[in-house]
Order: sequence, then structure tokens, then C-alpha cells
Amino acid sequence: MDNPEQTPFDQELAATLRRGRAVSVAGFAERVVVAAVAARRRRTVVRWSSALAAAAAVFVALLSLPATSEEALNRQTFALIARDESAQLADLFGAADDLSLLAPVAERPAVVETFVSPGS
Amino acid sequence: MSQEEPMLPDDEDDKRLMALVAGGDDDALRLLVHRHHARLVGYLRGEVGSQATAEELAMEVFIRLHRAASRWRPEAKLSTYLIHIARNLVLNEWRRRGRKPTTALEFAAEPGDLSQGSARRVAELDEAFQRAILQLAPEQRTAILLVVQQELPYEEIAEIMDAPVSSVKTWIHRARARLRELLKDFYAQE
Repeated sequence: MDNPEQTPFDQELAATLRRGRAVSVAGFAERVVVAAVAARRRRTVVRWSSALAAAAAVFVALLSLPATSEEALNRQTFALIARDESAQLADLFGAADDLSLLAPVAERPAVVETFVSPGS
Repeated sequence: MSQEEPMLPDDEDDKRLMALVAGGDDDALRLLVHRHHARLVGYLRGEVGSQATAEELAMEVFIRLHRAASRWRPEAKLSTYLIHIARNLVLNEWRRRGRKPTTALEFAAEPGDLSQGSARRVAELDEAFQRAILQLAPEQRTAILLVVQQELPYEEIAEIMDAPVSSVKTWIHRARARLRELLKDFYAQE
């Protein structure tokens, strides 16, 4: 190390700073080891938690994926169609799904009424 | 060299101990801490002006060392690496506080077998110098502490501070000039 000047000021500065060069703390090493071990345990717990969460997600996916196969999707679709009221109504009339075809029958004109029931 | 240091840090032995720490050997960690903590706390106390904060930061340095043990590559001396981590923590600490550590000083001289009068003078000198050092710019303070207090070569300081040697020399020169200026009145009383 260079030491260009050794004035009284520099000597005082060096002496002052070197008095605080090393500050031994009783029991410090033990405190560090305790803290390091605790930190290591925390890291281990976090690592295992992450691994378990990932494994659980894979397990759930494996269980649920077969239920959403093509056949299952078809079953679900048919069930939804069966619950569809408009489809049930169409079945009752034996007509197509398009209900607009039934509209003239529902609202018959007056001329038609005369021919159908002339005595009324 | 301070009498508080039980042995001279041996770079090769440090590397061997670090390999053991990476393998989970707590006794090796204990030995490394015992070997290096006194100088680290001394340096940190110079930086932050507080024994409690210095110990807290030194603890964090060793925790980080322990965590990174398996990834550590012995490209530099372990003591250099420790001070490098410590300096980064100091910078973070200042950012967190939002200002420089110019709060109450906790420096107490250790007079040893000095007479009471000499002890008082040593204590006054210590306090005056430490107050002045805490008023330096961060780079100047780190550089002057590492060169004068820790007696590190310029190259090692440059490595710790991630700066060229020329910058380190400039910081040290400016630190000395600023300290002279700050302590002008103190010296005028002598």
C-alpha cells in the first residue's frame, strides 16, 4: 500500500482508524450459525411446499383430464340439448327447430276462420 | 494486526472451509465467521457509525455467504468477497434510510493501559475523526476506511468497489483533504 505522506494528521488518522479495525463480538459465530440453520430450514420448507403444490396440481389434472374426453363432452352436449326448452317445444309440434314456421298456424286470418267454422 | 484476531486468514483454508460450508458443515461456517467477523464488524462500524447496525449487517453478510456457498467460485480472496457484500449492504442501508448515517456515534475508545488523561484525549480524537469520516461522501469514506483502517492494497479496494484503481486513488486523496478541512478547528486547539 502506498503511504505518501506521514504528517501528524495522517498518523493520527491511521492510529484512530486502526483502533477500530477489528471488533470482536462474543458469541457472534454461534448467532450466525443459528440464523443460517434457520434460513436453511425455511428454504427447505419453501422448496418442499413448491414441489408438493406442483405434484398436487399434476395429480388433479390427471384425475380430471379423462372426464373431459370426447365422449364425455358429447354426453354433456346431449344433456344440455335435452334441457333446452325450445328444442322440447319443437319436438311437441313435430316440426323443425325453426319456430317461425308455426307462426301462420298460431295466428290464422279471419277469412280462414269463416271457412273453417261457417256456422259460428 | 489486532490482537483480537485469533489467526491469520489463510486463503487456501478459507476455500477448503467454503467447500465444507457448501456441503452443509455448520462447524466450518462457525470457523469462518470466527476468523473474519472482527474485521468485518470493524469496517462496518466505520461505515455506519453504529455497533448494533454493524453487527446486524455483518450477520446478513454471513447469511448471504452461507446461502451462496455452493455457487461461490474462489476467484478472489474470501475477505475481499465479504467486504464487497458488506459494502453493497451498506449502500442498501443508506438508500433504505434515505440519508447518510450521520446519527449518534457509538465509538468508544479502548484505552488499554493508557493513563486517564491520555484515554480522554484518545476518546476525543476518536470521536472527532469518526464524526468527520461520517461526513465524507460514500465512496471517499469506503476508500479511506479500506486503505487506512483495513490496510488493503489499491487493487483490492478497486475490486471491492467495482472501480478503477485511479478512481480509488482520487477518492482517497479527496477524503484526506476533506478530513483535514473538517478537523482544522480540532487541530488548531492543539
